[in-house]
Amino acid sequence: MSDQSGTPGAAPGGTGGRTGAVTLVDQGNLGPRTSEGSSFFGAVTPIFRFLYSLISKNFGALLLALIVLSIFGTFLQGGATLMGNQIKNALVLGAIYALVAIGYTMVYGIIELINFAHGDVFTVSGFYAIFIANTLHLNSLATSSFGGLLLALAIVFPLSMIAAGLTGMAIEFVAYRRLRDAPRLAPLITAIGVSFLIEGVMLVREGPDYVTTGQASWINGTAFTIGKVAVGYTDLFVVGTALLLMFALGAFVQRTRLGKAMRSTAQDRTAALLCGIDINRTISATFFIGSALAAAAAVIYSINYGDVKWNIGFRLGIIAFTAAVLGGIGNIVGAGVGGFLIGLIYVFGGSLIGGAWSEALIFAILVLILTFRPVGLFGVEVTTRA
Amino acid sequence: MALLELDSVTKRFGGLLAVSNVSFSLDRGEILSMIGPNGAGKTTAFNCVTGLFPITSGQIRLDGVSISGLPPHRITKLGIARTFQNIRLFAFMTAVDNVMVGAHWWMKERVWDGAFQTKRARSEERSVQQRALSLLDQLGLSRYAGSYAREMPYGLQRKLEIARALATQPRLLLLDEPAAGLNSHEKVELMQLIARLRDEGLTILLIEHDMRLVMEVSHRIVVLDHGEKIAEGSPAEVRTNPRVIEAYLGTGASEATRSA
Amino acid sequence: MVKPTKGVLSIASIAALGVLAACGTTSTPTSSSAGATGIAGCHGTITVASDMPLTGGDATDGPFPAYAAQLAVTQANANKLMGGCTLKYISKDDSTVLKNGHDPAQGAANITALAADPTVMGVVGPFNSSVALSEIPVASRNHLALISPANTNPCLTAVVAVCSDPTIAINTASLYPGPHTYFRVIASDVQQSEIDAYVAYSVLKAHTIYVFDDQEAYGRGLALLFMKYYKADGGSVVGSVSLPGATTTFSTQLSVAQSKGAQAIFFGGTTGNGCGLVRRDMGSAGMNIPLLGGDGCEDQLFITNANSGAKTSEANGSYATSAPDVTKLASSATFFSQYAAAYASLPAPYNNGTKEPYTAYGYDAMNILLHAINSVLVGNGGQPPSSSQTFRDDVVAALRQTSYDGALGHTTFDANGDTTNTGFTLYKVTNGAWVGVNTYAVDTSGNVSVKS
Repeated sequence: MSDQSGTPGAAPGGTGGRTGAVTLVDQGNLGPRTSEGSSFFGAVTPIFRFLYSLISKNFGALLLALIVLSIFGTFLQGGATLMGNQIKNALVLGAIYALVAIGYTMVYGIIELINFAHGDVFTVSGFYAIFIANTLHLNSLATSSFGGLLLALAIVFPLSMIAAGLTGMAIEFVAYRRLRDAPRLAPLITAIGVSFLIEGVMLVREGPDYVTTGQASWINGTAFTIGKVAVGYTDLFVVGTALLLMFALGAFVQRTRLGKAMRSTAQDRTAALLCGIDINRTISATFFIGSALAAAAAVIYSINYGDVKWNIGFRLGIIAFTAAVLGGIGNIVGAGVGGFLIGLIYVFGGSLIGGAWSEALIFAILVLILTFRPVGLFGVEVTTRA
Repeated sequence: MALLELDSVTKRFGGLLAVSNVSFSLDRGEILSMIGPNGAGKTTAFNCVTGLFPITSGQIRLDGVSISGLPPHRITKLGIARTFQNIRLFAFMTAVDNVMVGAHWWMKERVWDGAFQTKRARSEERSVQQRALSLLDQLGLSRYAGSYAREMPYGLQRKLEIARALATQPRLLLLDEPAAGLNSHEKVELMQLIARLRDEGLTILLIEHDMRLVMEVSHRIVVLDHGEKIAEGSPAEVRTNPRVIEAYLGTGASEATRSA
Repeated sequence: MVKPTKGVLSIASIAALGVLAACGTTSTPTSSSAGATGIAGCHGTITVASDMPLTGGDATDGPFPAYAAQLAVTQANANKLMGGCTLKYISKDDSTVLKNGHDPAQGAANITALAADPTVMGVVGPFNSSVALSEIPVASRNHLALISPANTNPCLTAVVAVCSDPTIAINTASLYPGPHTYFRVIASDVQQSEIDAYVAYSVLKAHTIYVFDDQEAYGRGLALLFMKYYKADGGSVVGSVSLPGATTTFSTQLSVAQSKGAQAIFFGGTTGNGCGLVRRDMGSAGMNIPLLGGDGCEDQLFITNANSGAKTSEANGSYATSAPDVTKLASSATFFSQYAAAYASLPAPYNNGTKEPYTAYGYDAMNILLHAINSVLVGNGGQPPSSSQTFRDDVVAALRQTSYDGALGHTTFDANGDTTNTGFTLYKVTNGAWVGVNTYAVDTSGNVSVKS
């Protein structure tokens, strides 16, 4: 095509080109160029890049160093007793965060949705546990004898977990399933809506105040004392149950047919579908299991603290979500470890620099992870779906 | 009766006719190849057969029964398995687990069996694992059984995908460009594998650009261009079909004729 | 503003308080013989008003003091307190639908409207401290007396150390562009925290303390004031922390408190924000030291929460100060019976003044206002001063001289317009109920004494 005739007045005219000739190419700028910006940024940028890669590569080590330092700082501040007490507090808190975090991570892994209603499933489960315990008179059973306690636990755990699991499945079925192929933002907004809905219902049904569960008296007494740190049976129960459930889940996901279906669906939904896996059922099952673990966390919470409130799951849920991100969202083991790490950060941060900072600290960690290590401590880069 | 029949299948995406009024059928034990330039609608046809895309009109029948509108996992259960042009393995699962996922639908283990590791679950898991290992072994993948799929060499990933598809106990296997990216030695192995599968009674629908492979293994060939079927017949017929040559002009017709 | 709660009171202690407080007259202001003859010839109209939240979420509180104020006006009219002058009463509602209750903007608009009426000589209200913040400047600019029955925020009247705290952030001076025309018949949190500090140091004998607060204006203010007075008393604050109301566990901070050797815990805040949960977690941590709170802690929910943990009687031995329950004062008995008689036709609960702790405060506030107006009339030869502004200034000046015996006992105001009729009862949880131990009063120089 001819440039002279076809494009009248198209080019402003190259300054260094033939005068008078209309050109498409700016003739004056055909020489060599440099991409450098100002010399200051040119000099500083590599330093930032270096720091960024340093931090992002060693994020886990840095975080761990920070935690160890704060534990040591607490030791200097208050001696072995304070340090021991705070480690105990951190493990108890971390166990609950870990169980809730697993639900976030499983759901995110399989449908890439941050299920904001998950924290509220935790709350609802607390009320399920109260209802079950009160209806079946488990409080008197549990406090009657050790056998009675075991029986009560053997009743309240599965029933609450099943009820919560069904709740989770119902939420997925009603609120998320139809939006599965919608833009990411749509189910996220629905999730927030479901969260508010559950909180609203809880507020109306259960009132604005804490409700006593009556389950704090189930487990009592000091198991043993290290130095001046008294470790109660409740503390052992909380951490032990959480670890047990996490290992059980890990084995379930690794070994069983459904576990494999869940993992394969999370990694490539289409391929899983074409391997004969019913995606809807698998996703339902994921919600069931995630919610059931939240219920286990709620029962543990109820036995440890003795009361629940219409909105306790909200903050707890966000903190647990941070734990899931820390461990690498989608990574179940990561969520478990992340939960305990967040417990340590929450407690030791609060102990050292004041409790008002605990939550700010947690969310600072969230920002740092997302900036420096978005895949989390143990996350591997997950292949994006084609 | 034909195993698979496509009867005037049309798939439209908005204004684009991806597959237009395509009909052909596959007999049991037959290897049928679909060829055609890029964008001819071959993979779309696969996606329609496997239920990933609902078809706009027409009918797809397996054993004379319509499967149009069935969800993909149900179609898999009816005996259609496939591989993908761009390998879609479960990257963070081991090779043996990938194959075991293929066995998912026919395993009898229920949730509670798995949760409580009942005797039944354990024995079934063992036998399925044995089956998966033997599949890997026969495809020459046994030394990678415990590795993550993503850590395996590319050529072996293709094979693993076939192993996974075989684990679903298919009657009809859809292979989407299985030779893409393979070296010549691997291509020979692939041809032998396809021949063996045919000998063992599997029906195969193949999409492939490698004309040497296509001409060698196919009983019949269907040629698509711009979503339409422009030719169908034996390799010899298709090779000399003027419309086919025309369709391939500038895209690889000369190569097709040369290699044939 | 925190309402005194309706906990179970020790009848003995309150009765004792009542005897002390009831030394004055009964509440009916019939003793206006002072200038009845002089003001008989009074002519003109005098208007008084009340401003309370009457609708929305505040409908359970605000109407009571408003009805009580109206009753005072009715009685004054019956007794010809204003002589020949006409006494009118206007009731304003500072609630809006938007806020579903008290709305500072509506309060300011109400006072503006009332101030524009030259016959209005004073307003009883508002109910909420947040509304007071927007009403006080308007009243001050218009020289209009404003007497609150229920505001406890100390920064409304005087600059105390806590007013500049970010959670409170009240610039007291800016509230008064004109004269200081604001008074209140309820003690402020300054007095409460002085008493709390005294109780912690001298009654509970805790010489080291760890302080929690709930990050809200009331709780944080109380905690900051408490720490100031506690240190002044000689105590040592070993640590303090502000935690949000949604905090569910306090074990971390309690471990810190334990390791620092705190002999008591103080909680500035409300039960809804964790007062009872702190006690619960103290039980779990095995801390056998007292917990002391303000009126925000003294309710049944505290006991429920504290007992919800592993130790189901953990609440026992917890302490809180709270306003005396005026229904137990002998001086209030006449008022409550008159209220019941006057409003028998109202639907429940409004037909019973004892259903709301501030009812009697509304009654005394209006009576104090009416008596001030009366004294101005008497002092001015039985006639209203010629200009409305002079009249209002005179009323404010008369309010400063208040010495009134009413339903609440004997009330006078200090230079800031705060009542000197202070009194907080120390309650202790005993067998699952709050039981009054002693009632303390604090004088203007901060000396705490046992009232009963």
